Amino acid sequence: MATTTTEIPRKFHQAVEKWRDTYLPDFAYLMENWDRYFPRDDPFRLCAYRECGMPCSIECGEDQGKPKYTRACDMKPDAARHLVSAIRAQASTEFGSIQQHQLTLARAQDEEEQAMVLRMMAEELRHGYQMLHLLTDDDWQPVTGQTQEQTVEEILSMKTGSHVLGAFNIDFESFVDNIVFCALIDRVGKYQLSLQKVSAYSPMADSMPQMLREEAFHLATGVVPLRRWVVKAAAGSPMITMEVIQKHLNKWVPRAYEMFGDERGGATNVKWGLKPMKNAESQDQYAKECTKVVRDLNMRYLRARLPELTLADADAGLATLERDHGSFQGVKFEELLRLPHREYGRRRGVPAFSWVGVDGERFESIEVYLQHLTRTLPDGYRATRDFQDFVENLQAVARGEKTADEAQKSMPQLRRVGGVCPCSKSVRWVAEEAIELPVSAVGA
Amino acid sequence: MSAEAIQVRSLTELDLDGIVRIGEKTRNRYEPDLWEGRVTYYLRRAPEGSVVAEMDGEVAGFMLGDIRSGEFGIEEQCGWIEVMGVDPDCAGKGVGRALAEEILKRYTARGVRKVRTMVDSSMPDVEAFFARLGFEVDTLRSYCMTLGESRN
Repeated sequence: MATTTTEIPRKFHQAVEKWRDTYLPDFAYLMENWDRYFPRDDPFRLCAYRECGMPCSIECGEDQGKPKYTRACDMKPDAARHLVSAIRAQASTEFGSIQQHQLTLARAQDEEEQAMVLRMMAEELRHGYQMLHLLTDDDWQPVTGQTQEQTVEEILSMKTGSHVLGAFNIDFESFVDNIVFCALIDRVGKYQLSLQKVSAYSPMADSMPQMLREEAFHLATGVVPLRRWVVKAAAGSPMITMEVIQKHLNKWVPRAYEMFGDERGGATNVKWGLKPMKNAESQDQYAKECTKVVRDLNMRYLRARLPELTLADADAGLATLERDHGSFQGVKFEELLRLPHREYGRRRGVPAFSWVGVDGERFESIEVYLQHLTRTLPDGYRATRDFQDFVENLQAVARGEKTADEAQKSMPQLRRVGGVCPCSKSVRWVAEEAIELPVSAVGA
Repeated sequence: MSAEAIQVRSLTELDLDGIVRIGEKTRNRYEPDLWEGRVTYYLRRAPEGSVVAEMDGEVAGFMLGDIRSGEFGIEEQCGWIEVMGVDPDCAGKGVGRALAEEILKRYTARGVRKVRTMVDSSMPDVEAFFARLGFEVDTLRSYCMTLGESRN
């Protein structure tokens, strides 16, 4: 399991460092305090890793068994176009998540949790760097029509609102977002990285193992604080409640499902050997995993509420609550967390703009559904442009002015317009009639 | 249940609940904070260096370890097995051996030539377990001093 390390060309490396100085201003603090927070861990290094000894033959799809591609020019043009879109989207998410985390990093109430998130941000920077390595170590110009300089500049000029995927265009409002995002959105990232580990393009496959190692810590960065927060909530802490956590699950889970791409898609990825699984199949596995996360949190909460319970009693108590939706020794089912229904709050994919509630309940009128959204989403999020656009499109679909398909294509987005200038003035709100949806989604 | 039903894989944060359960069953203490700290430590260092055994989709055992050098005068890269636990309900089914074989395989693949662990002599069954795997008593000895007590 040896790895090789390399740096991207100097001018691009320096561009990433400059980007880091702007969007990750606490990086120097992290480096200065690395041994304090992460004693004995290897120091962080901004470089690209490639795993040695990975499979040389294509592992799935119509060319299964043939040698993997080491150069883009050897791939079918359509497959190369598909792949470069995925690499760009992946890069966008890595850099995009840092911009989101930075907004509320300073609002952490716990120094250890803050340090973990800061390290995670540095590693996301490295993941973005890894994708730039893929884009600058090969010649993609016949596919993209862009020079390497243009491609790197385009990626590094994206800001919250202009990223490829919806989850990375939503501002964080509090440190709860940082933690829930790590637990849920990074989990999608883990799936995408695992799928891309079998990519028919070997530089992509070889890039995944080190990213996956780092991603394992990112998930813990989300799940462990959540486990501690539910204990605080059980103790009646004024800092965090189960309701607040639930509302943040409601905010992020729909975006996570959408990151897998449309439920009907993904076959092309499989056909070209870029991923071994279609979108719906990956989404199913993700949902199963999130269900376990939520159940474990509920068990942690129940045992904090009723510390005298034995393990067996706690298991029985949680099972009773889940089955009867009643109460157990004073703990009500409503106090527990639940994974929002797969069709709740969706704006992409098969259930886009349907009126489905957190528990899968269906609504007869848009007015009642909007009231449900009001009750189930964080207050701060409801004041955002993102939510406003969602509501306006919901209403347009309800009035019959748009189909759900048209609505998901016309969600206004902050998009880069004109040229390749990295100046933020080239990014503004644009409502287009036909924004092309990414065929295949990726994650941080 | 047969040994074939044991699936060994890398540690993930999803294993926390299962590990806390095994800790509670074997130590008679519910210590989620302790295990959350430990699992986070091993995940951030090298998730592939620690393994979990599953039976029927549940965590049946875990072995947490690490590769380090420069400690106790040992300059070479050395694999350490530091924490392990097997669900008592799965005892005698080969879970411990499956965990050890996987972790030793992984350490070998990473170029490690020596693997170390420390076992309390009051736990002869654990000593016997490692002896069966081929571990031998090392020249490295554990020393301990209790602070705050008068010394002769």
